[in-house]
Amino acid sequence: MKAVVSSEWLKLRSVTSTYHALATAALPIVLGIVWTVYVTGLADERGSVRAAAPEQGFLPLLQTSLAVLGVLAITSEYATGTIRTSLVAVPKRGALLLAKSGVVGLTTFLAAHVILFVTYATSRLIAGDHHLGFNEASFADEVPMLLASGLSATALALVGLGLGALIRSTAGAIVSVVALLFVLPGIAIYLPPPWNTRVATLLLPNLVPQIAEERLSSRLGDGFLPPWAALTLLLAYPLVTLAIGYYALKRRDA
Amino acid sequence: MVRRAGDPPPGILYGVIELHHLTKSYGSTLAVDDLSFKVEPGHVTGFLGPNGAGKSTTLRLILGLDAPTSGQALVNGRRYTSLRRPMREVGALLDAGAVHGGRSAYDHLLCLARSNDIGPRRVSEVLDQAGLAGVARKRVGGFSLGMRQRLGIAAALLGDPGVLMFDEPVNGLDPDGVRWIRELMRSLAAQGRAILLSSHLMSEMALTADRIVIVGCGRLVAEATVTELTTRYPSLEDAYLALTSGSVQYGGAR
Repeated sequence: MKAVVSSEWLKLRSVTSTYHALATAALPIVLGIVWTVYVTGLADERGSVRAAAPEQGFLPLLQTSLAVLGVLAITSEYATGTIRTSLVAVPKRGALLLAKSGVVGLTTFLAAHVILFVTYATSRLIAGDHHLGFNEASFADEVPMLLASGLSATALALVGLGLGALIRSTAGAIVSVVALLFVLPGIAIYLPPPWNTRVATLLLPNLVPQIAEERLSSRLGDGFLPPWAALTLLLAYPLVTLAIGYYALKRRDA
Repeated sequence: MVRRAGDPPPGILYGVIELHHLTKSYGSTLAVDDLSFKVEPGHVTGFLGPNGAGKSTTLRLILGLDAPTSGQALVNGRRYTSLRRPMREVGALLDAGAVHGGRSAYDHLLCLARSNDIGPRRVSEVLDQAGLAGVARKRVGGFSLGMRQRLGIAAALLGDPGVLMFDEPVNGLDPDGVRWIRELMRSLAAQGRAILLSSHLMSEMALTADRIVIVGCGRLVAEATVTELTTRYPSLEDAYLALTSGSVQYGGAR
């Protein structure tokens, strides 16, 4: 197993698409600086503003980029036919997918948290004593939200990997991840109440505020899940998707 | 031509492939139909058959990429998927195009090597052997078909296996490369390895192979030595055309 993990680690490291995905994932740091400088300027004119925190506002960008990294970890093998070379080298398909999951999971977990905490720190440094709304809570109060956000990006990357194993096409798997992240929550909002909140409460991006005990949005109000249940569901998303992906990989001819 | 009929050097390398009533159907089409034959150590066994005869499917079945509908393929007495470090027992070149274009030749081989606990020194050795040492750090995307064939052969040799399988390895190779492959196959067989070589080039096959297995419509058509066939027919090509005349599925009117 160690050998397979080491091989997968080199695979991830030796293609440029990984670095492109990570660079895109890190954009929230830059955008967060721009955003904070902008709202700081506004606050200078008006005395105070109520601005969104950049690590929350730009979270979808981080989530999408890392999900793409997860998808490509397997669909690039299908696109090039390398999957057969890989399965000849490692015929135990479960070991191959498990090694990929470990490598993708750890890489995206570290990347997401570094990016989120750096975005948090730089924006608070720039904000200083200005009243921007997002910089009024203490760091200790923000930690659950930051950890939940990082965990959600990791979960999405692994969901992407599982969907990639199932769908085998890069475009198809990315569309599915985007549907999970943007389209389904968008539809849920417009369901007749109380179904909008009931459905939205279970969707992946909405688990982040529920883990941090915050409301979903001004329109949807509070979610129904206590933090532990939201966290369990967030972990269940990648586990279930990877299990389905594994079943497909195991059953199908390569 | 000198036939190396003598026993292989004792105890150095030994490999064998056995097919027992191997059958694979896709829906109602039988791609491989009750195929049984043995690839003996110390020989190059030529694997011949018209397009669509099931050669590549057979190779995929041996390597565990496809699951047989019934029957089994054994490598050194075991199913391929049960081998712990398969590259040390079997080397295979199926499709030279099955490489990630963004990865360097060295990294591609090192990814494979690591998954089977093979060290980086061996990677440099096979790159040298395949004549790719000068382009080892170049991306595979820029390689010609011939260079990709050389890379695929280098990958097959990585684990120094006793069983080797090559699907159309001379495609795209220059005359120098064709001669290199011919001499490589013969020397690998002389070391006691079992070599299964699929090719449509009859002249090349006559120079390289000792034994011939011919399939048509997924069934075994003939199993003989090259000498037997060339004694009975004017040439190997005539033998092939006569034996497969009943099982050509895709061909012009003759």
